[in-house]
Amino acid sequence: MSITNLLENWSDFRQQHPSEDRPHREYKWAMSIDLDACTGCNACSVACYAENNLPVVGKEKFAHGHSHHWIRIERYWDNDGREFADQGAQFLPMLCQQCESAPCETVCPVGATNHTADGLNSQVYNRCVGSRYCNANCPYKARYFNWYDYPTTDNVWPEPMNQQLNPDVTVRGKGVMEKCTFCVQRLTVAKSNARSEGRSVLDGEVQTACQQVCPTGAISFGNLVDPSAKVGKQWKQQQVDLNKDKQAKDVTESAAKLRGYRILEELRTYPSVMYLEQLRESAI
Amino acid sequence: MIENSFNRRGFLKVLGWGGATVALSGCGNTSVEDGKEFVTSYVQTADYIIPSIGTYFNSTCAQCNAGCGIMGRVREGRVLKLEGNPKSPINNGKMCGLGQAGVQAHYNPDRIREPLLRTGDKGEAITWEKALALINEKVGGVKAENVAFLTGGVSGHVKALLKNYLDALGSGHHYVYEAVAPSIMRAANKKAYGVEMPRLHLDKAKVIVSFGADFLGAWISPVHFSQQYARFRKADKGERGVLVQVESKMTLTGANADRWLAIRPGTEGILALGLINALAAAGVSVPGDVVGAVKEYTVDRVSKDTGVSAEHIGKLAALLKERSPSLIIAGSAVEGYAHGSQNATAIALLNQVLGNVGKTVEAPSSVPFPQMAPTAGNRFALQALNDNMAQDKVKVLFSYGANPVFTAPASMKLKENLKKVPFKVVFAHYMDETAVEADLVLPLNSALEDWATAMPEYIAEGAQLSIQQPLMEKLYPGTLGMGDILLALLKQRRPEEYKGYEDFYSYLRSAMVSIKGALGGANEDDDTFWDTALSRGVVKLVGAPVNISSNASAKGLVVPAPFVEDSAYPLHLIPAVSASMRDGRNANEPWLQESPDPLTTIVWDSWVEMHPKTAAKLGIVEGDIVEVASRSGAIKAQVYVFTGIHPDVISMPLGYGHEAMGRYAKGVGVNAFKILDPIFDKETGELAMHETRVKVSKAGQRVVIVKDEGPAGGNQMGRKIAVRMSSSKVNLSEEV
Repeated sequence: MSITNLLENWSDFRQQHPSEDRPHREYKWAMSIDLDACTGCNACSVACYAENNLPVVGKEKFAHGHSHHWIRIERYWDNDGREFADQGAQFLPMLCQQCESAPCETVCPVGATNHTADGLNSQVYNRCVGSRYCNANCPYKARYFNWYDYPTTDNVWPEPMNQQLNPDVTVRGKGVMEKCTFCVQRLTVAKSNARSEGRSVLDGEVQTACQQVCPTGAISFGNLVDPSAKVGKQWKQQQVDLNKDKQAKDVTESAAKLRGYRILEELRTYPSVMYLEQLRESAI
Repeated sequence: MIENSFNRRGFLKVLGWGGATVALSGCGNTSVEDGKEFVTSYVQTADYIIPSIGTYFNSTCAQCNAGCGIMGRVREGRVLKLEGNPKSPINNGKMCGLGQAGVQAHYNPDRIREPLLRTGDKGEAITWEKALALINEKVGGVKAENVAFLTGGVSGHVKALLKNYLDALGSGHHYVYEAVAPSIMRAANKKAYGVEMPRLHLDKAKVIVSFGADFLGAWISPVHFSQQYARFRKADKGERGVLVQVESKMTLTGANADRWLAIRPGTEGILALGLINALAAAGVSVPGDVVGAVKEYTVDRVSKDTGVSAEHIGKLAALLKERSPSLIIAGSAVEGYAHGSQNATAIALLNQVLGNVGKTVEAPSSVPFPQMAPTAGNRFALQALNDNMAQDKVKVLFSYGANPVFTAPASMKLKENLKKVPFKVVFAHYMDETAVEADLVLPLNSALEDWATAMPEYIAEGAQLSIQQPLMEKLYPGTLGMGDILLALLKQRRPEEYKGYEDFYSYLRSAMVSIKGALGGANEDDDTFWDTALSRGVVKLVGAPVNISSNASAKGLVVPAPFVEDSAYPLHLIPAVSASMRDGRNANEPWLQESPDPLTTIVWDSWVEMHPKTAAKLGIVEGDIVEVASRSGAIKAQVYVFTGIHPDVISMPLGYGHEAMGRYAKGVGVNAFKILDPIFDKETGELAMHETRVKVSKAGQRVVIVKDEGPAGGNQMGRKIAVRMSSSKVNLSEEV
């Protein structure tokens, strides 16, 4: 790749927010989370700790906001001044939304976070210098900074707990930003297996750790380019379009009965995670 | 691409230096060079090992008694992560957070690594030969009736061996104890349905009314129920089931209800009878004697007694009449009182009146091998043992799978009574509160390095034998499996019978193979049968069908009037059983400590839940440290104010407040078990967990609560983050 070639065909090399005329080619990883099925049980979060070598920081550091839960359950109340939370809570699994037009990417001074060809917002640990601009610019608070060198911190991975660490995932050192990767280590293996068999990854062939553990099956994950993928069918049925910042639900009355939405869409981040609204019965 | 600037010779030079550094730093210090360990080349490996590729082996989760099938990812001889076993009908490939943390129980740095014998205040490491010989000597020196074996719930081959050992000693004193088991419900079910644990079909119900059953969190088999719940919410035809939760303190299940009804503690039975009355008035056919028994329970009276509005009682009765079949579940909030059995019977009667028995409440099937059938624990067992210890009737005590010193209320004086037992043997993973009191501590293998079988108490259809197999080599040579220990003890007593078995594995294999016909392997040779069983992780059993009856009757059913106020101790204490902490046995697994409580989002500490009204009355704000005092003791903790609790009630989670066990558990929070009052269910004699009355006073300090929620405390501030809509607006059948 010569510089001339790079400059002349810059738009081919630069990963940008894809539009109708520049669709994703082979893969576009996306997720949908049904909030009516999510019970807020936290299994996804613990599974993520297990899969992705997340450090347990302890009470004091947790109090300082240093916790590392790549997927966390946010819990909201909608009491409207009533005496009791008598319609229960609203649970929302929050993770990196893998935005197509990610606010974190544009502010990184060293290009440590950028978009991959299959639509992931990647984080290159050994390029990261820890400016934390990305963290400040993320509207979802989905990025976590290593304020300490956890592998050498007492009681984070004491012998023999370090033997549980997943060798497929880097153990991050001090000064590095990290976040949900959609379990990119699993995606890489699945893509490699598929490539060696001369095909694309099939729907259901690869699961993220949070999806695999979820007791109610609230999380679907797959390739939005693949027309047979469940996640793509869900997005289509809910009329949520990856490349739009306003969906049918927001503009047409007939679409008001749809449940699909993306969080803070008005910021034009074009997230890759669609949520399905929680339901409540009106007869009781 | 690396260009010519870096040639092969240069590369080798660098590599040489790197290699020399490694060699220097490791010189003479490694166990390999000392000849203690060997390096095995991956060129010659076992068939199933490919370096860097994970292999999955099936086993059974031992984090709670639900018996979910797990699949351990093993790479280079280490187990890295657990997934659900898709072939297990209990969890169908799914798991919970508690189960995920099983690897942290295995790799826990605080595990005991060798047998310890008490000498004065210290534990001295001894060999297994010495330890087992000592047990033989001690049990030989006392009468068989003075030997007591305390365990948690047991099943499978370990249970069979344990019984054989007790028989060999000539003693039947086996106390099966579980601190938070639904034991009153079991007894009430036995009376009402003829079976202790009927099968609940949440997915067949159109309406579920759960009286404090946290089936999504910590009740019986939560992963199984969660899957049924998903189908209940989104049925194939698109009809969405309605969940109403009635309880005094919101559980995880309550947080997912369409309507959460805060009820005055202990009045659940009154509401159930009131609903029967309302249903009869609405034209549902109700037997005459039942109508007569409930006619006093008018909507107005029930509303006044329970604190549930007349509007909601009316709507609930209409919903139950309109949408059938429904399912009424009695959970721990119902059975936690001195009249717990009556409460549970009233709720069973409501199920019967609604015609749910046989539709959503079905019979389990019988278990073909009763010697391996699960023995469910209760709280009465510990009281019986405690009484016997107090009367000096116990000379040798074994404790396995229980931590009674931690879970017994202070009023039992269990720790003092334990001192009267001359020889106490504790089988343990950690130096927990009970192990600290022991004379001999025997370290157990972790569940991921041990052989066992388990028969889950709750399984949707039929019966099954779940197999637990080692997912890796033992971490420490000094630990042993419970099966191996029992076998060694049996060899002391019945050498002729057991000498043929080298270890528990050979016993288990031959025991399974000898009944392979009943385990579905009649046409297979022994090796094929065994290998298939191990690779599947579960063996289906053919059980005979059992009839379920509708025996609940209004005859003799008296539900007492609501509590009278107690001015000295004005509040009710609900000790909460959370999905990750439960009775505290897993408290030393740091993922669970750092996993926020779903409702309060608090981590690494205990808390006191309080309604804003109550807090205002007492002048308390969030973070105030308060003293919670009952007649049996007092503890201090931080207050969390929220609206998911009845104003007459405060709640504290169980499982915290360990004084021993390990670095992640010790000193975290306070132990709410300790201040429970000795009040018992009148019919079963079980400790009534929700009966304790308390007073709350400010202790002067205030802290910033360490929790995951932000300063807005669950308010979205007008942003559309988590969005909710009315189910009538949606057509679920159109969805993918």
